[in-house]
Amino acid sequence: MSLITIIWSMSASACLTLAGINFLVWLQNRTSLPNLFFSLLTIGTAAWTICELWMMRAGTPAEFATVLKWGHVAVWLLILSLVGFVWVYLKAGRPWLAWAVCGLRTLLLVLNFLVGKNLNYLEVTRLGHMRLLGESVVIAEGVPNPSILLGQINLVMLIIFLVDATITTWRRGERHRALTVGGSIVLFILISTAQSMLAFYGVVRVPYTASISIMGLVAVMGYELSSETIHAAELGRKLQETEAGLHESEERMRLAVEAAGFGVLVRDFARNEMWASDRWRTLFGFSGTERLEFEPVIQRIHPDDRDALQSVLEKARSGHGVYDTQFRVVLPSGEVRWIGARGRVEFDRAGKPAFARSVSHDMTREKEAEQEAEKLRQEIAHVDRVSMMGQLASALAHEINQPLGAILRNAEAAELLMQEKSPDMDEVRAILADIRKDDQRAGNVIDRMRGMLKRHNLDMRPVAVGDLVGEVAALVRPDAAARHVKLEFSVADNLPPVYGESVHLQQVLLNLIVNGMDALDEAKSDDRRIAVTAALDGTNTIEIAVSDSGPGVPTDRLKNIFDPFFTTKPNGMGIGLSISRTIVEAHKGRLWAENKSEGGASFRFTLPIAEKDVSK
Amino acid sequence: MSVTVPIVHVVDDDVSFLTAISRLLGASGFSVKAYSSAQEFLAQRDADAPGCVLADLQMPGMNGLDLQSALAQTPNPLPILFLTGHGDIPSTVQAMRGGAEDFLEKRASKEKLLDAVIRAVARDSREREARDRQRELRALFDALTDREREVLSHVVQGRLNKQIAWDLGIHERTVKLHRTAITTKLNVQSVAELTRLTQEAGIFLKLVQTFPKGQ
Repeated sequence: MSLITIIWSMSASACLTLAGINFLVWLQNRTSLPNLFFSLLTIGTAAWTICELWMMRAGTPAEFATVLKWGHVAVWLLILSLVGFVWVYLKAGRPWLAWAVCGLRTLLLVLNFLVGKNLNYLEVTRLGHMRLLGESVVIAEGVPNPSILLGQINLVMLIIFLVDATITTWRRGERHRALTVGGSIVLFILISTAQSMLAFYGVVRVPYTASISIMGLVAVMGYELSSETIHAAELGRKLQETEAGLHESEERMRLAVEAAGFGVLVRDFARNEMWASDRWRTLFGFSGTERLEFEPVIQRIHPDDRDALQSVLEKARSGHGVYDTQFRVVLPSGEVRWIGARGRVEFDRAGKPAFARSVSHDMTREKEAEQEAEKLRQEIAHVDRVSMMGQLASALAHEINQPLGAILRNAEAAELLMQEKSPDMDEVRAILADIRKDDQRAGNVIDRMRGMLKRHNLDMRPVAVGDLVGEVAALVRPDAAARHVKLEFSVADNLPPVYGESVHLQQVLLNLIVNGMDALDEAKSDDRRIAVTAALDGTNTIEIAVSDSGPGVPTDRLKNIFDPFFTTKPNGMGIGLSISRTIVEAHKGRLWAENKSEGGASFRFTLPIAEKDVSK
Repeated sequence: MSVTVPIVHVVDDDVSFLTAISRLLGASGFSVKAYSSAQEFLAQRDADAPGCVLADLQMPGMNGLDLQSALAQTPNPLPILFLTGHGDIPSTVQAMRGGAEDFLEKRASKEKLLDAVIRAVARDSREREARDRQRELRALFDALTDREREVLSHVVQGRLNKQIAWDLGIHERTVKLHRTAITTKLNVQSVAELTRLTQEAGIFLKLVQTFPKGQ
């Protein structure tokens, strides 16, 4: 088989294959017009290639002329689709020039059929032969058709259009595309135009072989388009992968956030939009579909926390960027919920806040537990101070009542035994021994109490008298108000601190004040006052006095009231004053009672000042 | 019933006080038994003997209130007196609701203590007599047949033989025979006596409820 036949027919079939592929691509995606135009262009090329082959093998001048005439249809298709391809692929070129090229080419096609044998020749006079690739091929001689001039103008216009489009593409910055597509098209069109013109005017004796250079053009365009297709497919695959990956990591994130009970809120400042996860909506009491806006969200915040939160958010927006805060939310049902929120503000290039993202979680239980613990702590502190003495007294009374009861019953039994005519003296002796034993037992209880108080003395330190009086005043005030007793506190200025254990001294003062109030209750007097004064007594001592406006202590009792279990009160244990004196004496002070000349009792105690110890 | 000397049972974990109060009660003429815990008392006491219990309210393990409810479950529920160092109101209220005879401080006066013990012993004796009498009466009533008891329920409601015969669907003479059997078995002379005895035996109400008056 001849080499020419092989090359030309292979070229034609390659073109047709490309045409088919690109046509299919266009069918799949109707918007990819480059593929359609390229498909048409390759069909045109294939047709022209076949015409060329036919012309080289033409037997008669008439056959040659006819083939060339029909070949112009292929050329028409080729040029129009080339213009279209450049137009849609490079998105460049002047429209009027494109229309002009296409219009003129169509006119030429009409002339091709109307004037002479074809566009090239009015008449093909004879066929010549020449050798090409070792074969004899036909070349034509004849009367040129004047219309061919228009054809050449048309080709020049096409080249101008192509050059212009290429330059535009180049300037647009797509240099690669301008070079590979625009440049090669221009080059190959120039070559084929030049060759066909040279052939036509007989400057060089060559047959019509424009298809060779057009094949080059087809190859470049085909390469460009298919790499584009491959690239697009690659991109699509990558996009899918990325999307799947994104979806996967988004899903993981969502799971983690949901599992931790976090609600997510994103605020877009530019669009003034808010997006929140379902959990966030639940936390803040918004339904799943409700549109979120800043103002209603802020209204959900507890009024006491709103301003603080606003200022935290403002600080984050004005450049700080992050926040970590806690606040209460009042749900529409009235339920109050503690929320812990952490957020981050993202800024745009101008430094303006663009997005704010935050995670929130319910910390109601933690807060409640915290508050409960705090309340309990305060209660314990209060109970400790108010009732230490009361509890001590109660425990002591119980322990001491046992031996005292036993002593009483033993004594009574002994009395009864002694009334008999012949008393059982052994039994009486046993009773007396038991009485002594129980007395010892009661004494031990008192000693234990004293020892306990003394052990605490180890924790002595300087105590400011003003603080001491102030703390007791705070403790006793509610009680005094309830009992309609007016309390007056007067602490001299610039008192030096005393040396002692604050809690114990508070107990003494508290006990004296409560005793005073009890005395006032008994007296049923209208004048119900208790005055607490603290002043320097000499140089080394401070005297604190608690004076009431009651009836005073009966003179015969003044010396007994500090004895354990001496009481004049119906519910009294007779322990408070006894313990108080023990405490004061453990502080190296004195506690005594006196009746004031103007009426009422005054309980006074002294404490050494702490100056010497402070200087140590 | 056998006549026994009432015993005062003293229960206190404080052995010193236990000894002292036992001496006092002994010297005052009572038979005294001392126990240092509630469990010891429940295990050792004579199940049937009369007397009373003097117990400390606060004891380790089984306290006074526990002892009170345990004692109430026995067939010989002796009256209980509580002793306390100083009682708090809730436990006092509970003790009195549980039928405590009295509530005494450990250092209460001797007279108050002895009076309370005498009262408790007397109450035990009264209750014991009532329990004995009831037991006796129940034994009598238990000797009656079901039919006789049925007739009795009508009789104590004051119904005539004719009415009873009609209600029970038996002959009037049969009713008379039943009545004779009842009066013989219970050893009574009149309907009034029969009614009083029934009431005393504590089965009057039960009878009336079991066999209600016909229509």
